[in-house]
Amino acid sequence: MKKIHILGIVVIAVAIGVIFTSLQSSATYSDFIEASSNPDTEYHVVGKLNKSIPVQYDPKINADECSFMMLDNKGVEKRVVLHKSVPQDIQKSEQIVLIGKMQGNEFHANDILMKCPSKYNDAKPQA
Amino acid sequence: MNNSTVYIAERLWVGQLGNGFVILSLLAALFSAIGYYFYSKEVLTSEWKKFANTAFIVHSISIIGIAATLFYMLFNHFYEYSYVYQHSNNEMPLQYIMSCFWEGQEGSFLLWAFWNVVLGNILRKTIEVKWEAPTMAIFALVQVFIASMLLGIYFGDYKLGSNPFILVRENPQFANLPFLQIENYLAKIDGRGLNPLLMNYWMTIHPPTLFLGFSSTLVPFVFAVAGLWKRDFTTWQKPALTWTFFSIMILGTGILMGGAWAYEALSFGGFWAWDPVENSSLVPWIVMVGAGHVMIINKNRGGSLFMTHLMAIASFLLVLYSTFLTRSGILGNSSVHAFTDLGMQAQLVIYVLTFVMICVVLLIHDKLIRVSYLMVSFLILFFGIVYGHKIILLLIWIGISFIITIYSYIKFFPKEEEEESLYSREFWMFVGSLVFLLSALIITYFTSIPVMNKLFTMEKAPIKIADYNLWMVPFAIIALILVAVTQFFKYKKTDPKQFFKQISISAVIALILGCSAVIPLYFLKDYSSASSINKWNLISYAILFISALFAVFCNLDYWMRVLKGKIRHAGSSIAHIGFALILLGALISTSKKQTISKNSSKKNVASLGEDFDAKKSLVLTIGDTLAMGNYLVTYKGKERKGIDVFFNMDYFTKDANGKLIKAFELSPMIQDNPRMGTSSHPDTKHFLSNDIYTHITYGILSDTKAVKKDAYREPTNFVGHMNDTIFSDNAIIKIDSITTNLSEKQFSENDSLLVVTAVLKATDINGTTYRATPKYILKNNSVLPSEFELKELGLKFIFWKINPQEGSIEIQVSEKVNSTKEFVVLEAYMFPFINVLWLGCVIMIIGTIVAIIERRRLNKVKPQ
Repeated sequence: MKKIHILGIVVIAVAIGVIFTSLQSSATYSDFIEASSNPDTEYHVVGKLNKSIPVQYDPKINADECSFMMLDNKGVEKRVVLHKSVPQDIQKSEQIVLIGKMQGNEFHANDILMKCPSKYNDAKPQA
Repeated sequence: MNNSTVYIAERLWVGQLGNGFVILSLLAALFSAIGYYFYSKEVLTSEWKKFANTAFIVHSISIIGIAATLFYMLFNHFYEYSYVYQHSNNEMPLQYIMSCFWEGQEGSFLLWAFWNVVLGNILRKTIEVKWEAPTMAIFALVQVFIASMLLGIYFGDYKLGSNPFILVRENPQFANLPFLQIENYLAKIDGRGLNPLLMNYWMTIHPPTLFLGFSSTLVPFVFAVAGLWKRDFTTWQKPALTWTFFSIMILGTGILMGGAWAYEALSFGGFWAWDPVENSSLVPWIVMVGAGHVMIINKNRGGSLFMTHLMAIASFLLVLYSTFLTRSGILGNSSVHAFTDLGMQAQLVIYVLTFVMICVVLLIHDKLIRVSYLMVSFLILFFGIVYGHKIILLLIWIGISFIITIYSYIKFFPKEEEEESLYSREFWMFVGSLVFLLSALIITYFTSIPVMNKLFTMEKAPIKIADYNLWMVPFAIIALILVAVTQFFKYKKTDPKQFFKQISISAVIALILGCSAVIPLYFLKDYSSASSINKWNLISYAILFISALFAVFCNLDYWMRVLKGKIRHAGSSIAHIGFALILLGALISTSKKQTISKNSSKKNVASLGEDFDAKKSLVLTIGDTLAMGNYLVTYKGKERKGIDVFFNMDYFTKDANGKLIKAFELSPMIQDNPRMGTSSHPDTKHFLSNDIYTHITYGILSDTKAVKKDAYREPTNFVGHMNDTIFSDNAIIKIDSITTNLSEKQFSENDSLLVVTAVLKATDINGTTYRATPKYILKNNSVLPSEFELKELGLKFIFWKINPQEGSIEIQVSEKVNSTKEFVVLEAYMFPFINVLWLGCVIMIIGTIVAIIERRRLNKVKPQ
């Protein structure tokens, strides 16, 4: 067996290993119900902000916490505690993706991605 | 659309001219490709050559014509055209007309086509006769595909390309605009203007550089495909090598600019976020670097034929693939900044697959298999269009193509008989290229998660930045070690003793310096408290750190000792030093990035997990002074310039006597953008050894209401002695002296009234000192209520108790309530040694330029 064949085998093994482990470990898009059944697992929950209930944010108490109601894509509504400062444009958001986990009846998110209605999203807006 | 209206003053001829150029450019590219194809078949006739060259020139002129027409429209504000209406307006400053040009998809395709034409003509003029026809045939074919992107013609429901010359009233997106009911609407309308986010100087230089980089990957590609086609696997590599170096240099510069732009103007707090758009420029570069190295092996030693072809081809195919990723809308939720979907998904998929197919077909050296493969491919395409099941058919096709590629490689591809020695340069360069290719594949796979979701109906979320870093660090370590040692191997065979002797000095220096840096950086404080995954991270950072130093010293050593410090041959050494410094700078500035804004909230969320334990938002009220890292920061207020709201803050340091000295000012900004919503732009103070980066996460953009008067917060009690200091939010208060109206003797004799005055000196942030004199009044053994208000600072003092035994006094201090007081929430970071990264980028680019110059010189000295 030539060295080059050993290299080839190593490359293939690493590639398969990476694909397999990353598939195992990476989070999935989901909804509140599934997140509730696995409270310690991280999920990406897609949904919409309930704009009729005000977003709570008092930086004087804790600048890294805000809270709001979100409807997931299955229509389940939960209170969300986002452990970050409130995104400036949250009221304009069309869709939000939360990254975090369920604790009790609240979803605790450590990050948020928002889709805002704009004609052009071919630029880098804030993440 | 209102067909009954007859519009006035539309300058339709411009669009007709533009469309004429679009069609001409497509046809000319097609004729040119055909011409070069026949020219490549014939040895003697120059008729086809003339035809093909003329067609290519016509194509070039047409592309420039399209660009010129579009510019003309933008300069003159011809709002009847959708592209102008969408991307410009009357106030557009001249320097941003360029940015308008490439803001949209059509314009950026045009920019790509333009650079291709520039490079194509240089290639055509400089290439040796033997390779002219085959390379240019493929080049022209690529141009056919890119030119078709600008067509915008409908075949039934299916749209081919997207045309930059359609009118506003022809654009279905604008069909309901009310002004289209008016005959002379042009007199009344203004364009929508450029997205203000893009109105900065980065947007005028970054896209052209990056697109020149994308274009430059095409040249090695056409050489490699021509090599497959003509079954001459070696002679193309020498002329292609200069182009490969050029591509590495220019694409690298484009990526660097993207990183610098992200760091300076965007607010994710870093220079690299592994976003799909960033990855899609990085991956072709990584592969191109790999291609360059295997081509060097081939030039010096022969062999590595399959890898040179594979990598030179893959780089361009990955550019095409990333075009598909970022422009088809498939990224959906996973990228915040992909292009909008213009309905070109199918078209982009077919383009990528067509070029894959062409490469596979050329690789097959058997007529029967070739024809069968083509037949099967078209059958699959036909079934897909007619019966659906596109995804399964696509997977089948990919499987078939993969198997045929491997079969053809085994069957038809020349292979080296001789095996490389373990102590040879070519072996380790080959390993290095393989490492690069593998890391590129892994990044591509990670970036493609949304595509995988679609192919295999999964719901996987995109890979996190931390996971990208985790996976890429081992690759970086291996790459750095190879970059360090490989030059010390000779081609074919090296004496192991000699080799180890040569690298030992650098190894020892790197280990000593590295360990003395790494231990305090990663192990003294952080390691013992880290979780197991973070322990692994810290160890890998330490190894990466030492490997980077090793690579720097080895290459310096090689340059100075082996190359005797001559710059002409040192291109690779210099570029390698740059590469190692980039990774070193990235490592230190990322792993030791410090959050200097600290949330004072007592709430502990660490129980939720590591990702949640990031208390980094600081609330800064106007006039307040808070500590941030080594600085004291005060927020002075905001000012609005157009749609940009600047939040001005002063950073102070303390001198030896503890006095505050203003160090610098920062004005992070929030753009209150009517089209994009708000976006936060950081401001950064650059020092030689670190950067102080500040951005606003929450700020009130409207003018705040007037301050409410005379409301004070609940008082805080302070117990203090003489010369003690009390801290309030906006001042430092010192107990200067205590005086009484009576001596002790008088007091014991006459107990009617005692007044004790505490003289306090309150110093505010500007260093101005105010005197406060709260009084303790005792009459007939009872304390009379008395308060002292220091209006200038909004402070109230009640001196209410004396403790004679302790010699202390007690004062209640209350601060004025400012519920409406202006405040901002900010995050601030300190990036240590990020300049090492930028320095590395510049050094690497210089090294590559040196290599290009040397290569050109060598090619001239020994013409083939």
